[in-house]
Amino acid sequence: MTSWQKPKNRKYQGLIGLLVLLTVIGAFIVISFTLQTNDVTLTQPPDELLVFDLFTVSYSWQAPPLFAIIAAIATGLVVVVTFVGLELRDANLSRRSHDSIHKKLSPWVLMESTQGVFHGEVTLTALIPAHNEEALIGATIRSLMDQDRKPDRVIVVADNCSDGTVSVAKSLGVEVFETVKNVDKKAGALNQALGTLLPSMGENDTVMIMDADTVLRQGFLASAIKHFTDDRGLSAIGGLFFGEDRPGLLAQIQKNEYTRYSREINRRKGRVFVLTGTASIFRARALRTVAEERENLLPGLKGQVYDTHALTEDNELTLALKSLGALMMSPAECMVETELMPSLPTLWRQRLRWERGAMENIATYGITSTTARYWSQQLGLGYSVFALWTYFLLIVLQLISSDVWIWYPFWILMGAVFIAEKVWTVRNAGWKARLLASTLVIELLYDTLLGIVFVKGTVDMALGRKANWGDEHKHKIPRHSSKEHPAAKHRSSEHRVAKREGKH
Amino acid sequence: MNFINFIEGVLLPESFMESRFFVILATLVALNTVVYAALSIVHVIPKWFKPSWLRGRRPRGVTRSIYPDGPK
Repeated sequence: MTSWQKPKNRKYQGLIGLLVLLTVIGAFIVISFTLQTNDVTLTQPPDELLVFDLFTVSYSWQAPPLFAIIAAIATGLVVVVTFVGLELRDANLSRRSHDSIHKKLSPWVLMESTQGVFHGEVTLTALIPAHNEEALIGATIRSLMDQDRKPDRVIVVADNCSDGTVSVAKSLGVEVFETVKNVDKKAGALNQALGTLLPSMGENDTVMIMDADTVLRQGFLASAIKHFTDDRGLSAIGGLFFGEDRPGLLAQIQKNEYTRYSREINRRKGRVFVLTGTASIFRARALRTVAEERENLLPGLKGQVYDTHALTEDNELTLALKSLGALMMSPAECMVETELMPSLPTLWRQRLRWERGAMENIATYGITSTTARYWSQQLGLGYSVFALWTYFLLIVLQLISSDVWIWYPFWILMGAVFIAEKVWTVRNAGWKARLLASTLVIELLYDTLLGIVFVKGTVDMALGRKANWGDEHKHKIPRHSSKEHPAAKHRSSEHRVAKREGKH
Repeated sequence: MNFINFIEGVLLPESFMESRFFVILATLVALNTVVYAALSIVHVIPKWFKPSWLRGRRPRGVTRSIYPDGPK
């Protein structure tokens, strides 16, 4: 970590928790003040309805007053418009920038330097970092070779492998780069490989970083190469990820989550939040520029593409590229199947790492035009946790202090709106996805789990607790090609789970 | 202690629902729920993108393609 990063990181690491706390206190103060000046009491006596002369139902038409509803909606929309505005402002600044000192990857700067000269066709080199992946690397390589537009080179970056990864890769005719004395896991392995690869690459050469247990959907590479061909100003393309084909409730919950995320990116016309580490393609020049600017405009060590201190190196690289003004996108055709966590403990560890990594990344970069959107996203997450938990608290308090169950048509309508949204946003993901969404409560419980992760991550960071992930740095569950034999799938699963749990 | 006494000790009195704390909490949750319901509706509404003929974009001065004679 460079010397300028440390104070900045310390200064910002407790900020998210503090901002959420201030927002929550502010909301309480505003409500208390409003209640003193207006009569918006919610405790009116309910009416009763006799159903088929059998039993009585208590109900109440009570609803918040119109002015409160309008004020609440207006507040929500103002917050959303502000968040979106912050992001658009940064995107437009980068898009229009001619600043070749601070925005070295802005589309205009790239285009001005390549104008009028043909630098050759777009090429694609796929790098697959692998640490003891002999069970899965074959399927990964074959899935890459099955693409309509095949990669020009495939290089397996074998990192401290003690199994047959290297021989499997060689038998399939791809190149192998073996790391030397790497102690920085995936990021360190990629840094070594990119260090030898990037210097000789030209303006239209691209590098794809792909996990060893990822399957690309057909058309990914062809679409990406077309985009890089049509736009000299484009720096990176990230895959839209979907859940792998895995049975079970926990898997379905994660699949629904990924489906909604991808839908959101499509609605944003491909503007990405994070270039996923599972499959993203970069213009070689963009990666070279990031490496050159570390210790200057960017954190990390000079000459290294990835910051090896980041828990979530893909998120950090996204911030690095965005800070330099890079244009990046996730086209709808660039889909990738990603791994799903097989159990609650692995899911917990994965999400805690993501959350902690994301917060550390923005704390490292501080509050800038580029990170403003990410800060506001964390703030929004924090407030959502508060909103959901107070909702549960209210229900519990009402249940244990009320003698009768009262039906509120207004709140039933609100519930119907939430269910409609949950079902609509996964409508193309199959009946299981729609069925799960229609229950609402299961996904609310899942949101509660993510809320606990957020609170733990925030508190740990504010207290300066060190994140110690040990061998959990890479949480991957078994992946398989759809063409593999079911028995092989099962064996692969066992192998990967055993490896993750440190049994191998 | 019999079971009924135990439950009465754990449950809150009905008057708790008229306490200031409960009313503030209920109002806050109500307003939050309305805000999130409004955001849910925003999520469901199809997003409308301006068609290219409405954007009135001027043709670019230079091509963005890697081919110098590519379309502008």
